[in-house]
Amino acid sequence: MKHPTEYSACPQATRGILQQAIGLALLYSLCLLLTGCSTWQAPAMLDDTPLRERAVTTMASNIRVSAAVLSKEDNLNIFATNINDKGVQSIWVEVANHSPHTLWLLQSGTDPDYFSPLEVAWSLHKPLSRGTNRKIDDYFDSLSMKNLVPPGETRAGFLYTNPHHGTRVLNIDLLGQQAIFPFTLFPPVPGEYGEEQMHELLARIEESRNNDYQDESAFRSALGQLPCCAIDPRTSIAADPLNVIIIGELADIGAALTRRGYRRDPQDNDRIQRLFGRLPDIVVRKSGQGGVPANWMRMWVAPFRYQGRPVILVQSGRPAGGRFIPDNSQKLTLHPDVDETRSLVIQDIFYSGGLAKLGFVEGVHPVTAEQLFNHPKEFSYRSDGSRAVLFVTTRPLSLSDVEILDWAPTLERQAADAIERNLKEKAGIQQAQ
Amino acid sequence: MTHSASIILYDRKSCQHLDYNILKKKTEHAWMPLIDALKSAFVLLAITLILAGCASTGVWLEADTKDYIERMQTQTDGAVQVSTSVLSAIESLVIYGIPLAIKGIQPVWIEVENNDDIAYWLMPSGLDPNYFPASEAADAFAPAAGSRKNRKLNQHFRQLAFRNPVTPGTTVSGFILTNLDEGVKMVEIDLVASGHLRTFSYLADVPGFRADYAGKQNLEHTVHEAHGLINYTNDAAFRAALEALPCCTTNKKGTRNGDPLNLVIVGGSEDAFPALVRRGWHPTEATYAGSVRKMINSVLSGARYPYSPISPLYLYDRPQDFALQKARDNIHQRNHLRLWLSPMQFHGKPVWVGQISRDIGTRLTIHSPYLTTHKIDPNVDEALVSLIEDLAYSQNLQKMGLVKGVGAAPRNKPRENLTTDPYFTNGLRGVLIFDEHPTSLADIEFLPWEGMEDGMVDAAIKSNRQ
Repeated sequence: MKHPTEYSACPQATRGILQQAIGLALLYSLCLLLTGCSTWQAPAMLDDTPLRERAVTTMASNIRVSAAVLSKEDNLNIFATNINDKGVQSIWVEVANHSPHTLWLLQSGTDPDYFSPLEVAWSLHKPLSRGTNRKIDDYFDSLSMKNLVPPGETRAGFLYTNPHHGTRVLNIDLLGQQAIFPFTLFPPVPGEYGEEQMHELLARIEESRNNDYQDESAFRSALGQLPCCAIDPRTSIAADPLNVIIIGELADIGAALTRRGYRRDPQDNDRIQRLFGRLPDIVVRKSGQGGVPANWMRMWVAPFRYQGRPVILVQSGRPAGGRFIPDNSQKLTLHPDVDETRSLVIQDIFYSGGLAKLGFVEGVHPVTAEQLFNHPKEFSYRSDGSRAVLFVTTRPLSLSDVEILDWAPTLERQAADAIERNLKEKAGIQQAQ
Repeated sequence: MTHSASIILYDRKSCQHLDYNILKKKTEHAWMPLIDALKSAFVLLAITLILAGCASTGVWLEADTKDYIERMQTQTDGAVQVSTSVLSAIESLVIYGIPLAIKGIQPVWIEVENNDDIAYWLMPSGLDPNYFPASEAADAFAPAAGSRKNRKLNQHFRQLAFRNPVTPGTTVSGFILTNLDEGVKMVEIDLVASGHLRTFSYLADVPGFRADYAGKQNLEHTVHEAHGLINYTNDAAFRAALEALPCCTTNKKGTRNGDPLNLVIVGGSEDAFPALVRRGWHPTEATYAGSVRKMINSVLSGARYPYSPISPLYLYDRPQDFALQKARDNIHQRNHLRLWLSPMQFHGKPVWVGQISRDIGTRLTIHSPYLTTHKIDPNVDEALVSLIEDLAYSQNLQKMGLVKGVGAAPRNKPRENLTTDPYFTNGLRGVLIFDEHPTSLADIEFLPWEGMEDGMVDAAIKSNRQ
């Protein structure tokens, strides 16, 4: 979100604190002159009818949650300014509480880096406009979502979040006294045509009911038959490897990912990755602090289920160069060490509180560092060949509740490697001594 | 017991790896003169880089002679023993052969000795949610993918990295590359196994930087010497003591009130600090000329500077014992908190009193010698709620409640902090009680204190809309 005085557009003082302070003061004065006359007027009438009409709704435990993402027009009508331009995506949320619990909407669960109402208001402040600024503060604050929601009551308001694209993956965690009620909704982002894609996704998940594995060994065998990698349609050769499998309801997967800062964000470079003859069904990205290039998860719904739950095949990757590539870098390529990215995803799901079980299966073609270096045209990644299999659940679990499945051979191989390393290290120590 | 770990010194000139044991005393090794010579050379190199403007993060290096071996800390939980040491900029330069600190990278050495009968996995995200995979750090210094240099550096970094799992009866050691902390680092080691979690928490010194924690290693002793110690085991008496605390921080002379004391944390290195670390909170450095220079650069660029300084406020006649911050997208967007160790305990756990606020921008001021300060969200209750929500996801928050003591400041009659930034509040302070045993979201308990409505805390999370 840009600061209202747009420091970043101003010439930087380069030497000395004094010089910098003087530069800042001059810049500030200039901004005062340029912007001091502009004003902001609250809309004469607040009409949330369009939002209610297109809101998506879900209900569980006698709690109904509705939500809609604001369009540019909605922003102008409701806030008298388009706060999308400030990097803020506003979401209208309504919670109708027919449960016996008093509920607290945890905004950190919806977006760990959410914006407070007065933070958004501050970004609209103008110099020498104290009265107007106060009105902006009051207005944004008054429209924000109001906690708590007592039993039998309904509360509605706006959340100020970082943007998702296409269809929002919206996690709403409602906390009660020693109780949690998680909801995940998928409201479309206006103007980004995500509805059709969402319908297709839900249809695929529905279709997968036709092939529901109940037996673990048969299921593991089916996982082993899945393709190693996506396909690049331009060359019909293997693209990036599919190194993670997530098993769970779409809502639970969405909750786990958004709690850890993943945002729906498909981009052009996702279009060269195809599986089952189609583009990824969902793409989420997680940016590091400071807006550095994001890691990604491209997801495809598998044509089968396991014990009634959807199976999602994931290609998790991060850009080569990571957070150290230049800001203006346009071309992001897959970092070849995909196992490190797999580890990042495992840990994110672990700490989300949504992981019930973790296992590993084979399925990615193993590629050593030497093979990658000697045959760069043949291989685009290096990996031990394992896929992480993550079983995601609704009920929040602590770290000590996660079951790690003894799925050979990956685990055994990892253990054998570890023992071998340990022996080598011990031998090295003895030699040094 | 002999602490040992095989690591490799990388000689950049010869491109050779030299095996040595980092946890042996210096005097046992014939190659120490080489290390000393390298140290001197690297110090010169680092200083040259800084003078030439290459050290963009402005790391404050000093020719530190303290040995990280002496700083190694060891803890045992059942059949698992974990040792750790945090490397200074110079030490990481010596061991990696690369000035990691100028890229904001700090290695943490970890050794896990597993005498249990199950395998454990170390979770680097628990130590730093934004840790650097080995290859990412290597790429920072050899960006040409596929080049021989890149390959060698990647190989070198991978050899030094901690590698999971730790199988029964084995010892594994290596480095996790974290974001650089200055002065002190909160090290949280989460070891997971099937249906098991073992956590190890350390507060580690990092020489070579100025920080709030500098020189406060004997904090507990100092506080108890000065103020005595009261261990509360009665909820009502504890609540009364918290309500009797001053409303606000002050200036150094104690003549003017600053930000409100709206936060109480019950817990320490075993439960509260790990919760903060898991959620990405970092210690920050005290205000001094170098750090302010960095902050101003950050203001101008809008870029992240995770260690933007926090100015001193006063309680118990001393500046904060700890300042922590959680950066978001850039310097304009961070939450920060200050903590003072109180002379109280609650059921034997340390009690920290503090204040939290949300920075929403930077503004000019004549009330700071540096002419700039952070603009805080005037609704300080919102910042408190934000912290509570954040820590609810840490798995260590066990209970929370609200007590009086801050004094209400209505929205239409806001109070001002020391930099004349206005704030308003409902007058309550949040009390967060942590436990080392993980607590899921569904198990957090609300204490029946202030602001209750139908069994839930209410007042703090209702908007203040007078």
